[in-house]
Amino acid sequence: MSATTCISCGMPLRTAQDHAAGDPSKNYCLHCARPDGSMKSYDEVLVGNAAFLTRTQGLDPHVARETAKAMLAQQPAWRRQ
Amino acid sequence: MATHRKSQREQQKSRSRHRLIARATALCERRGFAGLATAEVARRARLSHGAVFVHFPTRDALVAEVAGAFAREVTDRLHALLRDAAPLRDVLYAHLRAIASREDLYRHALMDARAMPKTFRSSWIGIQSAVSGYIARAAEREIARGTIRPVAPHLLFNTWVGLVHHYLMNRNLFVRGGSVLEAHGRMLVDHMMRLLATKEARP
Repeated sequence: MSATTCISCGMPLRTAQDHAAGDPSKNYCLHCARPDGSMKSYDEVLVGNAAFLTRTQGLDPHVARETAKAMLAQQPAWRRQ
Repeated sequence: MATHRKSQREQQKSRSRHRLIARATALCERRGFAGLATAEVARRARLSHGAVFVHFPTRDALVAEVAGAFAREVTDRLHALLRDAAPLRDVLYAHLRAIASREDLYRHALMDARAMPKTFRSSWIGIQSAVSGYIARAAEREIARGTIRPVAPHLLFNTWVGLVHHYLMNRNLFVRGGSVLEAHGRMLVDHMMRLLATKEARP
């Protein structure tokens, strides 16, 4: 069975450690949380996801940003952005 | 009573949606994403053509749903195959096994991705980055131990996936039928590990 996913970036939340602050009641992931546990803003998540695409596949920064925008547009937290 | 009827309607709607996604996935697996026809999906799901658009406003939305579900399936399978701190060799094998379980669908997605809508392409790129993340974490541990040479995460992944995708796209050159990854996966993993091994770690 598929896990629930982060409302912000879509990452599967398979274990408690995947959730922000290790708290399963939070519906966003550790990568979309600030150090104080609150959820990052759209711009913060966008920058982080674009950087991940560039680091993992070497995408051009502009392509990475546009791809990250398209990914976030499918997530419940950012559908209206 | 009214609540019960509403609940039944919702269940029926959910079943129809799942049936449409299942039939669309089966069609994409056989003929690819680019040629998916909503009329045929409806016919195979035994629903009216209009019913497709009750669930998906456009054909592209249906294709994006199939691609998104497929992306989750591949990464869930990869995750399920791996234990914590798995060695790089195991991660590469798990990647091939995750693809091989849906090789035809993956191959069509690979061939069609560039011509597909943005939502499809972003799901496709998302799968690749998720896989690259698993590979990079395993590689970092082995680089630290000195068993493989230092390589940037994106170059490591692009080298590996370039090899895998070449075999998938040209499958008919390497096998006469069946799965090219089942037939040649071990060779590809062995080759990659030999390329990466430090002089000290070579057998």
